[in-house]
Amino acid sequence: MPDIVITGYGIVSAIGNDAQSVLDSLRAKRTGIGKMQYLTSTHKELPVGEVKLSNQEMKDMLGVPQDRVLSRTTLLGAIAARQALEHSGLQLTESTRRVAFISGTTVGGMDITEHYFEQMQRDDQALPLFAQHDSGASTIESARLAGLHDAQTTTISTACSSALNAIILASEMLKNDEADVVIAGGAEALSLFHLNGFNTLMILDKEQCRPFDATRAGLNLGEGAAYLVLEREQDAQERGADIHAYVSGYANACDAYHQTASSDDGQGAYLSMSAAIARAGLSPKDIQYINAHGTGTPNNDASESQALRRIFGENMPPVSSTKSYTGHTTSASGSIETVISLLAMEHNFIPASLAWHTQADDVITPTQGVEGVTLDHVLCNSFGFGGNDSSLIISAHASHAEEPRRTDIQSIVAAESIIDDPEQLKQSRKWISPMEARRMGKLLKSAIITSLEALEQAGIQSPDAIVTATRYGMLDVSVRFLNDMSQNGEEQLSPTLFMQSTHNTISSAIAIRTHCHGYNITYSHGTQSMEWALRDARRLIQTGQAKTVLVGLHDQGTPEVCDMLRRMKAEPLPELYSHVIVLKADDSQ
Amino acid sequence: MEQLIDTLKSQIITTLNLEDMSIDDIDTDAPLFGEDGLGLDSIDILELIVLLERNYGIRLANPAEGKEVFKSIRTLAQYVEKNRKK
Repeated sequence: MPDIVITGYGIVSAIGNDAQSVLDSLRAKRTGIGKMQYLTSTHKELPVGEVKLSNQEMKDMLGVPQDRVLSRTTLLGAIAARQALEHSGLQLTESTRRVAFISGTTVGGMDITEHYFEQMQRDDQALPLFAQHDSGASTIESARLAGLHDAQTTTISTACSSALNAIILASEMLKNDEADVVIAGGAEALSLFHLNGFNTLMILDKEQCRPFDATRAGLNLGEGAAYLVLEREQDAQERGADIHAYVSGYANACDAYHQTASSDDGQGAYLSMSAAIARAGLSPKDIQYINAHGTGTPNNDASESQALRRIFGENMPPVSSTKSYTGHTTSASGSIETVISLLAMEHNFIPASLAWHTQADDVITPTQGVEGVTLDHVLCNSFGFGGNDSSLIISAHASHAEEPRRTDIQSIVAAESIIDDPEQLKQSRKWISPMEARRMGKLLKSAIITSLEALEQAGIQSPDAIVTATRYGMLDVSVRFLNDMSQNGEEQLSPTLFMQSTHNTISSAIAIRTHCHGYNITYSHGTQSMEWALRDARRLIQTGQAKTVLVGLHDQGTPEVCDMLRRMKAEPLPELYSHVIVLKADDSQ
Repeated sequence: MEQLIDTLKSQIITTLNLEDMSIDDIDTDAPLFGEDGLGLDSIDILELIVLLERNYGIRLANPAEGKEVFKSIRTLAQYVEKNRKK
């Protein structure tokens, strides 16, 4: 298998609008978390890690006319992607190489929708703004603004591990010769929707966050974007590119425990870290620095520490959470923290965990920073709601590890199931208990029923992997949360609605139900979501990484959104649609 | 008190979307959380905190405090009676 290299990167975050200023802040131990300046929330008591740029300033940087309304996620993404391309020295205009742009985001254009939602429903002038709502639209616009006109694009939405999963997909596509250059990472702007959503879960600290501290009381939300330029080593060498690091190992696993909490033993984190180390051909003692997920919530830090102790035991390498600088940049955190790890590797230092004062038994002791070290292998963790846990290892040198990998296994359809009428949910009692149903919208019910039916038909209890596609996710709960915010303001909102609103809710709920700890991913790229999901599932089987994969497309419309799409003459949404396919490896070959 | 208990039960059924359940199905003294009782979890606590604020003007700042209050319908009713602002 070819080695995958990083030939460029770009970053915009609370501690700097480019790699150099991020590096300076890290070395000066300067946090970017502070008082809210740009987000117009009534919750001014909550500190945030905002990018210190207004939308107007970003439009100027990108040469976009000021009267164009663009999502902040799109703007942040475009700036970071441009930087990454410039850093890589790639001349795309003269190149005949196949380029892909993969972005992780969950918020997408929600910052626009939450602002104009009422107007869009009655006013034709505001209506076109809804075209920017979905995650995929934000990716496509960022790619355009970064000059990536001919690139194939896709969007991964696994909540807070989205960007790391984008880097994993990029590596897989390069190894599989599906592209020659991939720009991968993630972008996420702060929105009222998720600030209030996290607030309903009571996991936002009113002080600066203190990851791994005895007094930690939650996270601070942040925003930003970062992208890497990835290529096969040989291609990079042939064009004389600077190789900044190697992507030596990665893994995606699922905690399959709870929609918003991590398990006590950190099983998902344990699986993703140990599989990433194994894939890199390394052992735990080779890892010299860990950039932890470390959100600062009591639950995450205890669970992650437990997983770290299970793997590293007494020989814990230095660990820090750089969320103490940037805030938790949610879907962008995976690539932002990979870029921070790259900076650490290239400049021979280990970033400190800021605001740590008091040791506690249930968590590891983070590093206060180290200067003058040589880092060969760095591990980066990124975990999301629903237990979508991913880990990445970057290395200073090529491992040339012989990864055993097939490329020729065919997939066959073992079973299929469809629900396209809410009436069909009447059979739900067979599969879903009333206690489970209390927190399930119609789409989640149809997703669970079709998945369990198809698995039963195929004679499979738990698949090796779950791959999900959705254009809008659980739209009914998102719309209810939006309506609640516009009617009642930013108080007394429902945590149950918020926790179901991330696109990866469906995939992780299926994992929880089927006890599937394997690969788990969600694509949210408009009408192309299912195409990308099937492509991923077939790749997993083709390369021998899974024998059975549950693939599903799940979408629903609400009266408000269906009406807007009709007025926009856009592709309509069905009232309810779940289509599940169980793919399995063809053993007859 | 008995009336408040029934009101709370029906508010909980609506808020937590406990389909098919009536106020007679909820034992006033059984634990609300864990497998021996109604089987509610940490997210339900958060919903109940919102319920208390909306309907009774009671603000619970931290979920851990809620654990004592939400032991059973009876402890909840006692707490509400003592602390309600509306």
